[in-house]
Amino acid sequence: MKRKDLILKLIGEMSSYILDENPMKMVISLHQEEDGLHLAIIDDAKHSDADLEKLDKTLNSRKRPELAAYYGAMTGHDLLGSSRLDLLGWQIKHSDIVRMGEGVKIDLWLGGDRFDSRQFNIPDKGE
Amino acid sequence: MLQIILLTLLSALILTGVLSDGITETIQGVVELQIHPARLINDFIDIAGIGAAFVNAALVGLTGLLLIKFSGIGLSGPTFAAVLTMTGFGLFGKTPLNILPIIAGVYLSARLVGKRMKDYLIIALFGTALGPLVSALAWEFGLPLLPAFLAGMAGGVITGFFLPSIAVSMLHLHQGYNLYNMGLSCGFFGLFAAAVIRGFSQFSTVPSHWFVESSLLLELFVPVFSVLLISAGLIIGGKQALRDLKEIQSIPGRLPSDFVDMASISGSLINIGLIGLFGSAYIFIIGASFNGPVIGGLFTIMGFAAFGTHLKNSWPVVAGVITATLLTGNPLNSPGPILAVIFSTTLAPISGEFGIFVGFTAGFIHLLMVMQTGSWHGGMNLYNNGFAGGLTAALIVSVIQWYKSNKPEM
Repeated sequence: MKRKDLILKLIGEMSSYILDENPMKMVISLHQEEDGLHLAIIDDAKHSDADLEKLDKTLNSRKRPELAAYYGAMTGHDLLGSSRLDLLGWQIKHSDIVRMGEGVKIDLWLGGDRFDSRQFNIPDKGE
Repeated sequence: MLQIILLTLLSALILTGVLSDGITETIQGVVELQIHPARLINDFIDIAGIGAAFVNAALVGLTGLLLIKFSGIGLSGPTFAAVLTMTGFGLFGKTPLNILPIIAGVYLSARLVGKRMKDYLIIALFGTALGPLVSALAWEFGLPLLPAFLAGMAGGVITGFFLPSIAVSMLHLHQGYNLYNMGLSCGFFGLFAAAVIRGFSQFSTVPSHWFVESSLLLELFVPVFSVLLISAGLIIGGKQALRDLKEIQSIPGRLPSDFVDMASISGSLINIGLIGLFGSAYIFIIGASFNGPVIGGLFTIMGFAAFGTHLKNSWPVVAGVITATLLTGNPLNSPGPILAVIFSTTLAPISGEFGIFVGFTAGFIHLLMVMQTGSWHGGMNLYNNGFAGGLTAALIVSVIQWYKSNKPEM
């Protein structure tokens, strides 16, 4: 899949999830490097601890190549019904979920097997 | 655990088959099935006996299991469903010989776009629904042995090659609300294959085979298997298994819903067993025979009870099919309606997501559709209910989407 298509699908599915909660604010930030990318989604909707735990479990579920390549095609595309972050979780390298005020910040990291997100060049706030 | 269950089932089929008909007759029957037309409805029990049909089904299931193993994928909801479905259809249409070229075609397709077999594993396993196309090309045109074999193999490889592209497109059509997406995909391809064959030859219908005799062995096989699965679930999970079963009943079931991952293996086993018991009870109540297609159908819905089907999302659809059957004057125990009731659970996610009324409507439409669609692809797509269900789901999903997208927000 082309990188542009993948990014569009990820943004579509994540937006669907966030907008289900009817937030007043949603910010999507993309940072690309040659062998990986970082997508951050921030909202201001209220999320319970149980919701965030479920979100974390879904996005960081075990990799399912047999499902990702086939059913993953529905990610961010077939949006009738509840959002399905499991489709997304099978395709990303890992995810971090952090509370920000009332809302949440969801970091999605993508890359090949050699991609190490810990070395990813995300600028600090001060830079 | 799932591997032990499947290996036990396949071993039981082989053992039961051989004990039932003897080794010689069973082997002769299995060979006969490989070169027999396989289009709908060809009940292998009626054609070659219980022994040959059971052993053939076990060999088909084993092929699926080995493919999963060699792909390096662990067994879970979808792969369990695939093996059980393949085994079931090994009783009425699939043979090792007619499924292998399709799998090879899917592999070639994967290699062309730089993917691995494991990426298209589910498509390869369920894509074997077009096995009868391979058998038709090989054995229905009176070709000499070698050209017949080559024609079947070539047709199967070409078929498999096209399936991944079609399968992904068909998913978008119903958005995951038809569990047997490969049924829709194979039916879609089958339309073209049937048109090509009919364009160049006389492609007559094959005589239908439907085993009607009563057999205690056939009647008890699924209920006993179901009870064993429920017992296994309770032993492994205890009270937690029942809580997980309750959780499973709350999942809409839209593709892909792996109950083993989303709840637990123990809860899934109880769900599988319950679906098997309720399905068997229905067959007993309407006085139908437990034959190849019926047992195959029950195996399939039991497989999908780990991957989208449960009692809560199934009953409205089944009620819709039964109502439509009665209103159209069809007997409930005739082949079409029996299979429609069993396989209509392909539409279970519709009632799971949109409620009882929509699920009931889907079931009602499904019966009317499935009674027609078989002839469209010449009976070459074994998942005819998946095909009809996919078309029904696409209709319902498009109407709901149109309504939700256009009605003014409050």
